[in-house]
Amino acid sequence: MKRLFGIETEYGLSMPDGNPRTQVNDSRRLVAACTVPHALGWDYSNEDPRADIRGFRATHLSQDPVDAAFDEGARPGGADERADRILVNGARFYNDHGHPEYATPECSRLLDLVAHDRAGERIALAAAKAVGATLYKNNSDYSGASYGTHENYLVPREMSYERMAAGLLPLLISRQLFVGAGKVGSEAGRPVEFQLSQRADFMTEVAGVDTLYRRPIFNTRDEPHADAARWIRLHVICGDANRSEWATAMKVGMVSVALDLIEIDEAPVWRFADPVRAFSDLSKDHEFCWKIALGRDSWTTGPDVLESYLAAAGKHLAGKDAETDWVLSEWNDALIDLRTDPTRLADRADWAAKRALLATYAEDVGKWETDAMRAAELEYHDIDPATSLFDVLVDMGRMRRLVEEARIGDCMATAPNTRAKHRGQVVAEQADRIEAIGWRRVVVGGKAVEFEVEGTQ
Amino acid sequence: METRMERRERDLPQPVRKPGEDEGPAKRDVKKPGGNDELLKRLRKVDPDRAKKYRQRSGE
Repeated sequence: MKRLFGIETEYGLSMPDGNPRTQVNDSRRLVAACTVPHALGWDYSNEDPRADIRGFRATHLSQDPVDAAFDEGARPGGADERADRILVNGARFYNDHGHPEYATPECSRLLDLVAHDRAGERIALAAAKAVGATLYKNNSDYSGASYGTHENYLVPREMSYERMAAGLLPLLISRQLFVGAGKVGSEAGRPVEFQLSQRADFMTEVAGVDTLYRRPIFNTRDEPHADAARWIRLHVICGDANRSEWATAMKVGMVSVALDLIEIDEAPVWRFADPVRAFSDLSKDHEFCWKIALGRDSWTTGPDVLESYLAAAGKHLAGKDAETDWVLSEWNDALIDLRTDPTRLADRADWAAKRALLATYAEDVGKWETDAMRAAELEYHDIDPATSLFDVLVDMGRMRRLVEEARIGDCMATAPNTRAKHRGQVVAEQADRIEAIGWRRVVVGGKAVEFEVEGTQ
Repeated sequence: METRMERRERDLPQPVRKPGEDEGPAKRDVKKPGGNDELLKRLRKVDPDRAKKYRQRSGE
């Protein structure tokens, strides 16, 4: 696909005798145990999380009050709080608010991104084993704490906030029917046995710059990590952490397709009466009707919204490139399965696979909302193949795979053919001489060199 | 409902597979579901307190 994209995963961290008060230091220690060749010296000079693409700068960012109480006014971690590692494959591995976070290198092909996302699991797992930790690729602790899996898409600056928000919000809300990771129970609002999305309980605003609290469906942070006059980095924070390779590919592929439609002014037009409520309602609809209110007496459905994007893409984007055609073909197949029998998605959609797995256990346990059911769900997200229930499904041939193990192994040490290749090369050859390095540039021997966005794909 | 899905299938172009690097992800054969007893045995081995003890800080 003709676009740079990447995924940042904040892993859930469990240490023997660990707790939220020790979590920041535990996470730093884990990151420091990274076994992949890397450099130090992350360059923060281009970072400004308060900048808003709507044209202003927020005076402050909201903080979770529970976390603030954990810290009791002190800032945990000290000067090297983030323990940044810049890896030989162009990725960044660091501590983010007590979560080991793996940010993939910038990719321009879906399969590269899937392979690098999975390589991140391997890299994080090796570090976790070194310090006796367990990592979960999920987004919630079942007690009201959520942590993110963010997607990044490079888009031209001329695509304004208004165009992006109007064209993307309906898809960001509806795509959970394919790519939600599923969750036992509810942490906000109406109680349910099971819902499609890990994050729906935590999306309380339509749009905004915050990410730690009062989280928005459409994040307006304006931190392009490229020439700001030419580029916006769309930062999507409402998605789930996926174990399924198909879901990872479709999560990013569907948004890329929508961005392509927005660029040519062909995205479908929907006005939801209450986007935040629609996000939650879709997630919690156990009858699978997936209704979305449009106005006082009118409504549509999640599948209809997904179909509208597919129809527009089929008309305007078919044949653009092989990956776009693959996304549209999978989108079509999944939509048919969703309308016919949603359980058919159990071989590729995390929520459906997990629901089928846990339904077996629910009969045994007696009901859904129990510690035993949540424990089984948590084990689905364990990234250690030796203990993960997701990997049990893979081993049984119940989950589709898109990338070979050998390719994942290669991606632990090799950057994709984007500007990340140059970052990885500098790390491989001059790690000890690097004074500062980031997404956008490296400084060696007092000389700064830019990593160009274009010309490396 | 079924009629609509049939129409959608006809509307869409057949995916164009190009050889070499530009090839999209391939579909893979998946074995038919089976082994529910085996799964249940595996599920019963999960520490039922694992989630109760799992507390996290909020992230982004």
